[in-house]
Amino acid sequence: MLVDFELIKRAQAGEGPAFNEIVLVYRKRILGTIARLISRPEDVEDVAQEVFLRLYFSLDQLRTAEVFEPWLYRLTVNAAYDYLRKHRRRMESRMSDLSEQQVIIADAVAGRRMDHDARQRRLVSETVDAMLSAVSDADRILLTLKEVEGLSLKELEKIYKVNENALKVRLFRARQRVLRASGEAAREAGAKGAARAEV
Amino acid sequence: MFWTSRGADDAALDSLLRAYREAIPDPDPSANFMPELWRRIEERQRSVFFLGRWARAFVTAAAVLSLVMAALLYIPRGHNSLFSVESYVEALSSGHAQDSADTVETVVDEL
Repeated sequence: MLVDFELIKRAQAGEGPAFNEIVLVYRKRILGTIARLISRPEDVEDVAQEVFLRLYFSLDQLRTAEVFEPWLYRLTVNAAYDYLRKHRRRMESRMSDLSEQQVIIADAVAGRRMDHDARQRRLVSETVDAMLSAVSDADRILLTLKEVEGLSLKELEKIYKVNENALKVRLFRARQRVLRASGEAAREAGAKGAARAEV
Repeated sequence: MFWTSRGADDAALDSLLRAYREAIPDPDPSANFMPELWRRIEERQRSVFFLGRWARAFVTAAAVLSLVMAALLYIPRGHNSLFSVESYVEALSSGHAQDSADTVETVVDEL
């Protein structure tokens, strides 16, 4: 744990500076987790603030020090889940508003501005984002926490309050869905490419 | 991206997710992060405070109304009043005078 329980107790008693200190210690990590969970850089701070806001108003319910971090992660997961649920439709419509030509032009313009590494990062980010957007928000969050954030099954057990075996099953199924979705996307892309080549 | 076997698929997915972790590093918070957070906390506190006040006022009004209703029900009044104190049986017997003992006796006499 990055903070001691005394500090949390002081924050529970309503000490603003103590709460500030907790936020300062955890905010970068929470911002990173949210950035990878929602893939929308412009909204990351907003969601992170929502997490700390929920923390502030529920801090008095915390009884033991060891549950603090899993609890903070649970708040993060819930805030990300709420965000994804709210914005999923909007994101879909935004993409469908652009014609294929516009997307190609936008990519080309953006591509010229970026160096090779940045382009590689963007490519990876877009690929994973596309793969994960093909599955449910719950699968996306679980996979991200386990495989991207590197949380252990024990940590996930505390966050989700589900036993390890159930988590393993959920993770296995989530991976299968992602693989199936990306397989289908690859087949579609292949078919489109073949059709274009024929024309 | 075509993956040939299940094991290769899993390995490719793992490496892609690891690359994703590196592609999106932890972002630096803006200078406005803490002031904005405290503004939101204070805003929420205000709304919670007003909601609490409304809830307390509502509970007080409901309690007063309950007391008034209870007082109206239990204060003894005359028979013509809206809230009569006579029992259910008394009310029935006064409403059906023809079923009284005298009427029954008359019928028996005729037999």
